[in-house]
Amino acid sequence: MVALLIGALVIPAVTGTALIVSGRVSRPVSEVNANTVSLVTSVVTAALVIATVIARPVLNQPWLTSLGVRLHFEVDGISAPLLILTAALSVAVVVHARSRPPHGASPSTFYGCLHLVELGALATFLARDAVVFYVAFEVVLIPMWVLIARYGDSRDLAARADASGRFVLYTVLGSTLMLIGILALVQASGTADMNALAVLHGARIERHTQIIIAALLLVGMGIKVPVWPLHTWLPPAHTIAPTAGSVMLAAILLKMGTYGIVRLVIAPLPIGFGALAPAFAVVGVIGIIWGGLACLVENDLKRLIAYSSVAHMGFVVLGLSSGTTVGLQAALFANIAHGVVSALLFFLVGGLKERWGSADLATARAALREVSPRLGIALVVGFAASLGLPGLVGFWGEFLAMYSAWSPAPDRPQGLMRFLVVMAVLGAGVAAAYSLRVLKLIWSGDRTSPAHADAGGGEWSVLAVLVAAVLVLGVAPGLLLNSTFKEAAAITMQVPR
Amino acid sequence: MSAAVVSVNAGILLPVLAPAVGAAVVLVTDVAVQHLRRAHYVIALASLLVGALATFAGLGMVSGTARRTLCLPGSGRCMYVADSVGSTLQLAALLAAVLTLLLSWPDDKKQPRGGTAVIVSLVLAATAGATAVAGARDLGSWLVALELATLPTVALVALRGARSAISGAIALLTTALVSFGLLALSAALWFTATGSGFLTPEAALAAFHDPGRRPILVLAVVVVIAGIGFKLSLVPFHAWTPEAYDGAPLSIAAFLAGVSKIAALAALLVVIRAVAPLGASPLAAIGIVSAVSMTLGNIMALRQNGVVRLLAWSTVAQAGWVVLPLAAVSSGAVHASGTYLLAYVLATLLIFAVVAALVQIRGAARARDLGEYRGLLADHPVLAGALGLGLLSLAGLPPGFLGLVAKVAALRPVVTSELWLLAVIAAVNAVLGVAVYLRWLLTVISTPDAAAQASLPTVPGGAAPVSAQAVRAHPATLVAVGLTAVALVLTSLSPQMLLGLLGG
Repeated sequence: MVALLIGALVIPAVTGTALIVSGRVSRPVSEVNANTVSLVTSVVTAALVIATVIARPVLNQPWLTSLGVRLHFEVDGISAPLLILTAALSVAVVVHARSRPPHGASPSTFYGCLHLVELGALATFLARDAVVFYVAFEVVLIPMWVLIARYGDSRDLAARADASGRFVLYTVLGSTLMLIGILALVQASGTADMNALAVLHGARIERHTQIIIAALLLVGMGIKVPVWPLHTWLPPAHTIAPTAGSVMLAAILLKMGTYGIVRLVIAPLPIGFGALAPAFAVVGVIGIIWGGLACLVENDLKRLIAYSSVAHMGFVVLGLSSGTTVGLQAALFANIAHGVVSALLFFLVGGLKERWGSADLATARAALREVSPRLGIALVVGFAASLGLPGLVGFWGEFLAMYSAWSPAPDRPQGLMRFLVVMAVLGAGVAAAYSLRVLKLIWSGDRTSPAHADAGGGEWSVLAVLVAAVLVLGVAPGLLLNSTFKEAAAITMQVPR
Repeated sequence: MSAAVVSVNAGILLPVLAPAVGAAVVLVTDVAVQHLRRAHYVIALASLLVGALATFAGLGMVSGTARRTLCLPGSGRCMYVADSVGSTLQLAALLAAVLTLLLSWPDDKKQPRGGTAVIVSLVLAATAGATAVAGARDLGSWLVALELATLPTVALVALRGARSAISGAIALLTTALVSFGLLALSAALWFTATGSGFLTPEAALAAFHDPGRRPILVLAVVVVIAGIGFKLSLVPFHAWTPEAYDGAPLSIAAFLAGVSKIAALAALLVVIRAVAPLGASPLAAIGIVSAVSMTLGNIMALRQNGVVRLLAWSTVAQAGWVVLPLAAVSSGAVHASGTYLLAYVLATLLIFAVVAALVQIRGAARARDLGEYRGLLADHPVLAGALGLGLLSLAGLPPGFLGLVAKVAALRPVVTSELWLLAVIAAVNAVLGVAVYLRWLLTVISTPDAAAQASLPTVPGGAAPVSAQAVRAHPATLVAVGLTAVALVLTSLSPQMLLGLLGG
């Protein structure tokens, strides 16, 4: 059984490295061959991940004995949906790249980097040793940097270097602060085992120390989430990144931050997080409104979706801050929902940007409704989900986050939280406004020139599957909420009702 | 052997004796048989490897155990103690010296100034000093060994004879003299405070508990940190570093970055272990020096356009990281510092080896200019890959797992002692460091400039770029690249291999 788990990590690691090396030492691997190898790898990995999620094996081996670090990997209800999301989207980006191949440098390096990003994300969600969590967190960094710096939008090289550098430097600052927090947490509680940390609930740590450690961890992981005002790396990174990079970044890498906050702040440092939660909720709601307002005036479509990510992650932050089981579940649901919706939108917009030659909304284009109905319907579903329409996946996370914040845990300031909910509702209104603005600009109308091809093949199958996921999870949110209930209740220490 | 005489165990001393004897044998051989060149290198390599093998007995020992010799009769005090940290540093110094020799391996055409015998014997002498200082426990041999590790490097830098080499050597010599003065002063202060010629915790504790002697002891420790700060390139004692690195031949710059740093840290650790039981007060200076070194080193490295100067400033920054754990009073601090030093030395030597190979392939002017690294990945994928691994290891990012683990190890004692401000400064410097190394790496993985490509056909004679491609690096240099790259890959896959050497 453990072999499944090891395989899910080793296969992307080995193929990813092999793909990067192969194009260098021997003759270059062709685009099609690289894609085929990559597709097989991601499908096998996804199968192993699903088997791991079902069988729930545990790997727990000593690794760095001098530092007391153990290779400890396992799955629970909180990480299972994220693991499946990661594995599924890794297949999706490879399928999508079959019809929309990467530009820039050798295709084999592109796919190799994708697999290393996948490896880092899987390892992050599987890790149960706090230091291994940090190591896995860092694994995604250089491959993602290469994806942005080498395969990103090449029209403005200075902007590309700036965007990739900003991504790396912000993330390293965040992860190093997180490392300091992790080391302090491990020192204070005497264990690096995240299961033990969750059980201890900060019992051995004084309030003062809890607040310091929680602040370090929240700032560190807040950069990754990203929480306003630490989000300024995200819009340029998304604008420049290739489609696959944007999808991995928005749908998977941002989730590592919120997941880490659940595992390393909320579970082991309840008092410290409780003290900081009001401030955390405030910056979350500022992010909702800030992101929404930016979207209202933004004219670069990719940048617009990046800002909408800031807003959506604001709802996750609000849910986390409420201190209730429902809020935690809402945050975990909104996490996955944003993963699905942002993946759908970035696939769409990446494809549109290649067709249009730019992602500028001010330029008059053919209406998608007229020239490319498939892209059109996917765009409508994506933005409808993004504005939180009931019946679609975006609704539940945001609705439940606001619901939980309206009646937060007893130690939270109720008046402030209710005020924040009102502000968040306003933010949701802004989201409706900018979503409709985009649909009006590029979907409706009757212009038919300049015509472009509709989605087909790999691109359409990926979009269709994501649209289906948006609908299914929107109609039956219980699929996901049931998965996280037990663990969420254990973390908030509330008696399951 | 009578009981009144100091006991001598040559086996334990072999890591020191082997390079020292090797240096003597090289000089004697040179007198007996002239115009030998490679033979000197072979003798030197053999002696270094014998020394390296002799350190194995001391690796991975449990904390508190050590191999001792040169013990005074009766008192039980020993002048030479090789514990696991000391033995590991000795091994690292000997292997780093092997690398230096491989990088300076003579080719068929050029006779180096001074002849190979001089270079080789100077390298061996300095290495013997480095291994000796790691084991020294009395003031006299500690001071002499540290100077033995330093002074030959002045000659090594100066031997090239170029104007820049002379100015580098003068900077180094001036620094070495000031540093020696400070160290001699600190030795005198130590003796005044403790009345003991031994660098032991007992001597330090006795002096520390006497209010009259305590200030002298603290002063001694602060002056030691200043004296060794020169050798470790810590700010504000760093000014010689860029001059000396840039002026010296690459192999000697690698020696300064490798063996010299190991010797300096080994010397510092001898003192730190003696004063660690005293608590924080004398060590607060280290935290300040560490923070300033990292920050200035990284900021200056970001501004460099020559790779050797960049590496020199990177050394300044990394030296700050090396001493960072020592600012904390923690049992793990000495190990953490040793771990970080080894990770730094391994990665830096790999980078120097790659640059040396590129000097042979592309010429010194191109290999020393950062801008000329554009497109290296396309031209020399293997060298570029090795360079990338070294840079990422210094940056502490995967796949350079060794650097990452070293960063974790270095930060841990700081966090354990709740030095939050220092920890946050270190975090900011981790970011600056990443910026320094990724700036270089981005150049390496970029496609060659369209403008540069267009200008190629206009080169007179057309075929020049092609013939430049045909030049191969010297096999010894490639061996050096290969050995360090393999060592870095293995220790990155399993960092415990390196951590285990330092013992538990």
